[in-house]
Amino acid sequence: MEALIRPEFGLMFWTITCFVLLALVLSKTAWKPLLQAVEERERAIKHDRDSAEASRVAADKVRAELDVRMNSFRKEVQSRMDEARAAAEKEKDILIEEARKSAGIIVESARKEIEAQKNEAARDLRSKVAELSVMAAERIMMKHLDHRANTDLASKYLAELEKERPELKLGN
Amino acid sequence: MELKEILEHHVVDHIWSWVVLGPLHLPISKHLLMMVIAGLILLVGFPLLIRSRSAALAPFRAMIEIVVLFLRDDIVLPNLGIKGAAYVGYFATLFFFILIMNLIGLVPYGATATGNLAVTAGLAITSFLLINFSGIKEQGLIGYFSHLVPKGVPGWLYPLMFPIELMGLVIKTFALAIRLFANMIAGHIVILVFISFIFIFGSFGAAVGLGVAPISVGLVLFTLLLELLVAFLQAYVFVTLTAIFTGAAMHPH
Repeated sequence: MEALIRPEFGLMFWTITCFVLLALVLSKTAWKPLLQAVEERERAIKHDRDSAEASRVAADKVRAELDVRMNSFRKEVQSRMDEARAAAEKEKDILIEEARKSAGIIVESARKEIEAQKNEAARDLRSKVAELSVMAAERIMMKHLDHRANTDLASKYLAELEKERPELKLGN
Repeated sequence: MELKEILEHHVVDHIWSWVVLGPLHLPISKHLLMMVIAGLILLVGFPLLIRSRSAALAPFRAMIEIVVLFLRDDIVLPNLGIKGAAYVGYFATLFFFILIMNLIGLVPYGATATGNLAVTAGLAITSFLLINFSGIKEQGLIGYFSHLVPKGVPGWLYPLMFPIELMGLVIKTFALAIRLFANMIAGHIVILVFISFIFIFGSFGAAVGLGVAPISVGLVLFTLLLELLVAFLQAYVFVTLTAIFTGAAMHPH
């Protein structure tokens, strides 16, 4: 059984020779092209990643710009709307004021008209009342008129007047 | 047939012939063949697979790539630092070499080259050389050996600590070799034992052996799956520990 653990020095020599030759040859023929291909690919991947990173940064910048612009647009729209609302408010106030004023004018003129109508009606009424009362008085006077008494009264007044104003004395 | 013979047949290397290169006596053996197959897969299969552009092979390419990237990003670079990039090829080769040798042992007619102490010792020696080489390269010869003893150790302990740390360097790599070897061989031995159960019980009577067979086969299948896990796990462990030791040698603080 000691054959199992007795190293054969010739085989050891073969092993070392084989392995050293293999290591030398394979380094050139196998591992070098393999690692070169791998490195090339790694470089390509790195390049891709870098460019992807760059485009991501660019996209971020564009988005930030858009955000800023959006915000300014929004602000502008807001301010415009506020302005419009304020203008509309003012317009409304003016319109209401005008309407109120014109309503006041209409009411005023209507009142004046009414006043004038009333006055006219009153005047009319008064003249009619005066006429009626004069006519009534005339009727009453006509009823109570006494020719002799009146003549006497007139003579008496005339005499008094002549006495007061001798220059107006008629004759005699 | 005794278990010893079965084990030696299935687990121990078979040396077919010897090559004499000057002072070296080199065996041509089954484990060497398996190692060469693994080496050919790595040498021919991997470059073709990595360079091919066919969509059908893309998943395999992706698998290799994931493993290599895992080794680079989670094992080599965290332990060795920025300068570790130069060592990625070494660690990737180490991982796949061990992994493929482990997996070949699970294939029928295959043998586990990493279940041979000589093979794991050879790998551990390369790791040992790498650890010391990288440490000396990083800190200089004197700096490396003066940093061998951790900081904060009282001065009078240095004569004791220095030999211990020197021994520790060797022991660490020795442990690497033993760990891989033992892990790879243990599963095989367990599988052989489960198979042997059938014949042990069969000696009581054919019916008993047949009754035990399903249980044994089930356990063998379970152990095989466990071995599949261990094949990946031990390749990972070997590479990770080598990276940790190398990193410790490069950056003593």
